[in-house]
Amino acid sequence: MKRILFVLSLLLMAAMLLTACGPAATEPPAGTVAPATDAPATEAPAMPVVLKIASSANITTWDPVASFSTEAAYLANVYEQLLRINPPGSAEQYIPLLAESWDVSDDGLSYTFHLRSGVKFHDGEPMNAEAVKKSIDAAADHAGASFIWLPLKDVEVVDDLTVKINLTYAAPVDLIASSLYGAWIVSPKALDAAAADENFWSDGKSYGTGPYVVESYTPDAEIVFTRNEEYWGGWGDGQYEKVVVSIVPEAAVRQQMLEGGEVDLATALPVENLDTFKNDPGYSVHEEPSFFNYVGFFNTLRVPLDDVKVRQALSYAIPYDDIIAIGAKGLGTQSFGPVPAGVFPWDGSVFQYTYDLEKAKALLKEAGHEGGGFSIRLTYAAENATEEAFAPLIKDSFAQIGVDVTIEPMGFSQQWELAKTDPANAQDMFLLLYWPTYSDAGADNMWSMYYAGAEAPYLNVTKFNLSYWKNDQYNALMDEAGALTATDYEGSKAKYVEAMNILIEEAPSVFFFDTMAVFVVPNRVEGFQYNLNYPFVQFFYYDLRAAE
Amino acid sequence: MRVLDFILRRLFTALFVLVGVSVITFFLSRVIPNDAAALYIGPKARTEDIERVRKQLGLDKPLPVQYAVYMGELLRGDLGNSISTKRPVTQEITERLPATLELLFAGMIIAVLVGVPLGVLSARWQGSPMDVFVRMISIVGVSMPAFYLGLLMQIAFFRHLDLLPLAGRVDSDLRFISPIQPITNFFLLDSFLTLNWVAFKDIFLHLILPASTLAAYPIGLIARMTRAAMLEVLGQDYIRTAQAYGIRQVVITYMYALKNAISPTLTVIGLTIAYALTGTFFVEVIFNWPGLGLFTVRSLLNVDYPAIMGVTLFGAGGYVLINMIVDLMQAWIDPRIRLK
Repeated sequence: MKRILFVLSLLLMAAMLLTACGPAATEPPAGTVAPATDAPATEAPAMPVVLKIASSANITTWDPVASFSTEAAYLANVYEQLLRINPPGSAEQYIPLLAESWDVSDDGLSYTFHLRSGVKFHDGEPMNAEAVKKSIDAAADHAGASFIWLPLKDVEVVDDLTVKINLTYAAPVDLIASSLYGAWIVSPKALDAAAADENFWSDGKSYGTGPYVVESYTPDAEIVFTRNEEYWGGWGDGQYEKVVVSIVPEAAVRQQMLEGGEVDLATALPVENLDTFKNDPGYSVHEEPSFFNYVGFFNTLRVPLDDVKVRQALSYAIPYDDIIAIGAKGLGTQSFGPVPAGVFPWDGSVFQYTYDLEKAKALLKEAGHEGGGFSIRLTYAAENATEEAFAPLIKDSFAQIGVDVTIEPMGFSQQWELAKTDPANAQDMFLLLYWPTYSDAGADNMWSMYYAGAEAPYLNVTKFNLSYWKNDQYNALMDEAGALTATDYEGSKAKYVEAMNILIEEAPSVFFFDTMAVFVVPNRVEGFQYNLNYPFVQFFYYDLRAAE
Repeated sequence: MRVLDFILRRLFTALFVLVGVSVITFFLSRVIPNDAAALYIGPKARTEDIERVRKQLGLDKPLPVQYAVYMGELLRGDLGNSISTKRPVTQEITERLPATLELLFAGMIIAVLVGVPLGVLSARWQGSPMDVFVRMISIVGVSMPAFYLGLLMQIAFFRHLDLLPLAGRVDSDLRFISPIQPITNFFLLDSFLTLNWVAFKDIFLHLILPASTLAAYPIGLIARMTRAAMLEVLGQDYIRTAQAYGIRQVVITYMYALKNAISPTLTVIGLTIAYALTGTFFVEVIFNWPGLGLFTVRSLLNVDYPAIMGVTLFGAGGYVLINMIVDLMQAWIDPRIRLK
């Protein structure tokens, strides 16, 4: 037995040696539970007011400039933009964050922002015009979402607290400056450090002005935030001192943690299990419109989909209600064109196709395809369970008008690669989940997905107009509308609606449904309000309060 | 001399195995039709940005050149940067390894402490209800999938009995009550060394369910192996002689018989450690255990090929190492192997 113990202890030692190898071993790992300088273990500090969240959102980078993914859920509590957009229906369109007010020149070509005074970054640097200029320049140069600053000419420092943003063409800088991506104002020291060291952002760091700072980060496991005591907004009763986020990829585990009281909030709960919470008076369930919608591009370069009548026929042969019931488990609403409900320039007056097989058959007959008789290759992103669920409904329905569908799941990047590089051999129908980068679906959804480039196959710079559709009148209206957004909201919207009507009539794609976001909030947490303009944020910790 | 010779020979073959593994995983991960540069930069990137990243990652070069570059960096201990986290893969692995090993060792200790005595008891009373019971347990242990067993245990011990925590490595309140001082990053050991009993208890409770889930398969295997080896040894003449001398049965079973029967069990233990390393993948996902398994699953889902390569090479290295150690141990325990 002694030898066995010896063997086991040797194995243990070998394993410890294994852990000791590797270059990172000399420095303490980033994710330790507490720095060694903390109070000795025997002392029990008073328990702070803690908010616990089980979140599905992973961190792909802590770099607020590069960020273009799910980490926005956390960065939004650490960093601030000049402005934040309020949810639709609010009295004010914006909450002034780092800018207290702003003026627009008459031609819409320059925006002057007056900054909040006395704000400091987490590293103690002052937040001023120089810092704003440096952040916007960095974002325009190398952000994940640099393209939102395409209209930018330069950023001018007028005085310490006044900054002027000059444009090459009129654009709504107020919307751009409140974007979730590419618009954070970051400490200039951090930007310099990141330029010198490419691994600067590899650990959880805070160089913003927001209400919380990152206390510790254990990859794939946990992030702990603590109050920025000097936050310019101040602190009131019931606001959380600490926020502990457990990163939990499994939806069922998140649900169990919420039900068992291990956490106060959980994101992305399994929608099929929501009834448990709906029937429990201890929780409120919020179902809200979201930023996301599903479209299905037709390949308009190919016979017979080049015929508008055929595309209209197929648009009438989509079982919208069933698709929402099965694909979205009921949590969706049929789209009014390409813009998700609640986002500028959404309008409920535009035409919606209904599920009408007789009309579909009649249109096919008009187009010279009586009884169908052609086939369609449909691709969708294999990783998208919603598309996987509703794609067969399209096949069934099209079969009833004599159109045969071959369904082909692909990895999203493969699907996109095929569609943008080789339209001649690409799919006939392409299912896509889309969302605007910032709260202007005119400049994003309507432009990215339907604005035609100059030459066949008419791809524009975003490479998302994958129906290869070209309509000069639509393009012209889009140009006019885009130029108006900065100075004349209503005028711009009217142009967008006109363009939408052409788009929907021409039916280069199917507009399936806008998704809904679901949040379960226990009564012990107060102050929750979903803001659809920031779909990846879910919770602004500063707004939440522990109930008495 | 003979031992040194043996080790050198094993090291040489190990090198072959590792190079083979690296070639296969490298080329497999590159032929999967996926645009790594597009994945790296994220959704909605402009074409020119994707091309910039492609150059930056060296993905524009021919495959053999890419492989040579990769191996060159590997020799300097650099496994490249993960596509999804943008951090060095080496750092990702070393940071998560203690969590996985802690789970692995806890599982293996349970497996040995439960499996060996079960096997001995079952052999000692062959044919008795005890034997039937042990054989049943081993079959269940070996055949029940870890993800199913793990979920059952969660439902039983968290949901209904409320005895043990659901998931994770520590309670999130622990940092405020009694934070762990990291020394080895084996939390149980660290809290023990710093006499932090509050943390020790919490970590211990968190370990029970995942470690037991992980131990189920090895318990079955070890019990069956021990039983078979013990049966063979117990039937031998020297055992009968010992019995004739009137030596107590306990002494005979555990001192004389088990020692000779343990060699095959040891091989099994060594192999199951390596097997259990992949078992941690399921267990870590179910119990949200922040180790290598969770990282690997995430890397696979994101087609994060530098991370997949890194973990595979690391796993293969560990496997080879454990096998070698087991071989050496056998020679140590059983002089017959040494003499051959």
